[in-house]
Amino acid sequence: MAQAFADKNYLVIDDFPDMRAAIRSILRSLGVNRIDQARDGNDAITQMQIKHYDVVLCDYNLGPGKDGQQVLEEARHRLLLGVDSIFIMVTAENARDMVMGAVEYAPDSYLAKPFTKDLLKNRLDKLFERKAHLSKVDKALVAKDYGAAIAELDALIAAAPKNLSELFKLKAEICLAAHRYDDAMAICEQVLAGREIVWARLGMGRSLFGKKRYAEAQEVFRELLETDRDLIAAYDWLARSQTTLQQFAEAEATLRRAVKLSPRGLKRQQMLGELALNNSHGPEAEIAFGQAVNLARHSVLNHPSLFAGLAKSKSANNKHGEALKIIGEIGKVFAGNPETAFYKATATAIVKQSQGDMAGATEALRAAEQAMAEFGETSHSRLGLEMAKTCAQLGEQDKAARLLHKAIANNHDDDEFLMEIVQTCREAGVDYDAETAIREIQKRVVTTNNRGVRLIKEGEFDAAIALLHEACEEMPGNKTINLNAAKACIMKMEKLGATAEDLLAVRRYVERLHALAPQDWRLAEVTSRLRKLTPQT
Amino acid sequence: MDFSDILALSIHDIKNSLGVILNNLDELIDDPNNHLADPRQAQILRHEAQRANSNLIQLLTLYRLGHEQLAVRVTEQNMEDFFDEVIADTQSVCRALNLDLSYRCDPALSGYFDTELVRSVLESTIGNARRYARANILLSAEEEAGYLVIRVEDDGTGFPGNLPQWLTDAPVSVQEAENPSRTRLGLYFASQIAQLHRTAGRTGRLRLRNGHVLPGGCLELWLP
Repeated sequence: MAQAFADKNYLVIDDFPDMRAAIRSILRSLGVNRIDQARDGNDAITQMQIKHYDVVLCDYNLGPGKDGQQVLEEARHRLLLGVDSIFIMVTAENARDMVMGAVEYAPDSYLAKPFTKDLLKNRLDKLFERKAHLSKVDKALVAKDYGAAIAELDALIAAAPKNLSELFKLKAEICLAAHRYDDAMAICEQVLAGREIVWARLGMGRSLFGKKRYAEAQEVFRELLETDRDLIAAYDWLARSQTTLQQFAEAEATLRRAVKLSPRGLKRQQMLGELALNNSHGPEAEIAFGQAVNLARHSVLNHPSLFAGLAKSKSANNKHGEALKIIGEIGKVFAGNPETAFYKATATAIVKQSQGDMAGATEALRAAEQAMAEFGETSHSRLGLEMAKTCAQLGEQDKAARLLHKAIANNHDDDEFLMEIVQTCREAGVDYDAETAIREIQKRVVTTNNRGVRLIKEGEFDAAIALLHEACEEMPGNKTINLNAAKACIMKMEKLGATAEDLLAVRRYVERLHALAPQDWRLAEVTSRLRKLTPQT
Repeated sequence: MDFSDILALSIHDIKNSLGVILNNLDELIDDPNNHLADPRQAQILRHEAQRANSNLIQLLTLYRLGHEQLAVRVTEQNMEDFFDEVIADTQSVCRALNLDLSYRCDPALSGYFDTELVRSVLESTIGNARRYARANILLSAEEEAGYLVIRVEDDGTGFPGNLPQWLTDAPVSVQEAENPSRTRLGLYFASQIAQLHRTAGRTGRLRLRNGHVLPGGCLELWLP
């Protein structure tokens, strides 16, 4: 009898021809006929671009170039793998810890070498069964329709299948992604009532963090690490909690322990580098950014900011020549990236200033301003903060303060980002009371929002829209305000019917949101409500 | 780099060679175009190569345990699914040796443990049981006194010495002299892995007994 997995497209990725041949012959003996092979990561990505694969069997260790994790990362990041595709990471026994550190993109399964034909058959059977079981949930997730995904999951949970705990875990993850912290907490509490389970305890901490109860979250992560000091994810979350609690040195120490255990996490190294640089720990920053640049070399997540960070750290350690050389590489490595010119310029300004070349530094700063202007009103807040740091270091206090004020206005509800601003002011000695500014701006945004909501409730749609529109013009980069303005227009149209003018207004807000944060969890709901209002053509 | 590091590196290299041997052996045996005068010899080769492989994995794991590089990752695991996989990996050799390998457990039963580590305990235990079993090897799991008890038993002559016996600490004290081919390594490894599984106030343990369901030896892994 033909197996469910036989009639599918397979890609086998391994740098050793013998190993590829061995896996191929195992697959053949299981009745699989459509098998392609790739000898390294680039080869694999090229093949995935032109053909859809149902199953990818990828060795973790692929020699020089991308490793298996980076292949997976790039494939998922560039949507080269469908929801129904299965990615299996093949590992040597000793790679287990290396690949199991907290990773953003986890494969569907790990397979230790050597494996028998019967084991692979059994595994493929189970994986296809699982995909089929969760197919509706996966489809909803791809559309970022969290509400639908949770509804589908609840239907599965109601049948109490034997993978119930896996479903609970998935539901908690989705609730966290959808910022439904109370729901996530309820699931985790229910699981923890039966037994102490790591993912559920971690979920409790993450929910507390999401609810801005940082001190309690910090306690949860700390306790988790007391029982298991290898729990990488707990270090990451502990460091984030410490940052929001303004314990910057502690956050840095936490991440330093984490990278010792799991040095291959790119984001973690970058976060550590930023913290160390802000904490004026030059040597530590240089190590972390050096690691990050190395790790990113073959990664789809490579970014000019990593090189800029390394250059600034080197300069902080008085290695100005090396720093300038790294800045020179930015243009070569990131040709075509719109942020290249900006990061090149800010890093150059810092290095020249450290060298005492004020004229060169000022010239670079002007170039950075020019590069930033090209991004327009929805330039990424990271750029604004980077610009502010550069101005502050070059002594342009007023400009730094103005940029920081704008950054706060655009991110009034992102506490981690706000605390980085506070830290920047403190370390760079900017004469600007960031904490007071944050409190005032938050108060103003909340007041505006509440007034808008009240006006909508009273049916005063136009007044609400005008109010929120005005706030938007003042803070064009603020996601929440743009979102609420869009919602106000939508509610008006849902009640009174769509008009071309209102539709145009909503589209502008939605486009801004897309430019600011294409991954924002609230976007899907707005676009789906908007779609219902748009006349079908 | 001390001598144990060099050993670990060499073991790793040997294990890779064994992997290639095993893969080629499988192809050799599974290809109907090959005519072996005594197919049983090929199966014995496969059986011993698998045993050597699981021994090396144990050594590497113990090495990492000694160097505090071993992280235990406890996840929830449905026992039926788990046994399905363990059996898939060793079934063909058992069949070739005319041994029936099966499992018994409640389909809804699940346990909390590090699947990779416990799997390697079971694989090596099954590898040993293959040498003693007459016709049957049985895996089972059930809940007892708040522990998950995983058993591997055979219908051979059983363990020597006074049983049942808890093996809580190294060195393992089974009377080996009468039966030198039962290595201590497997039991030592199993009891170390059992002890790595802990919850508040309770630690995993290992127990040997004879004549549980089948008449021969029975290794019990008690996990909290």
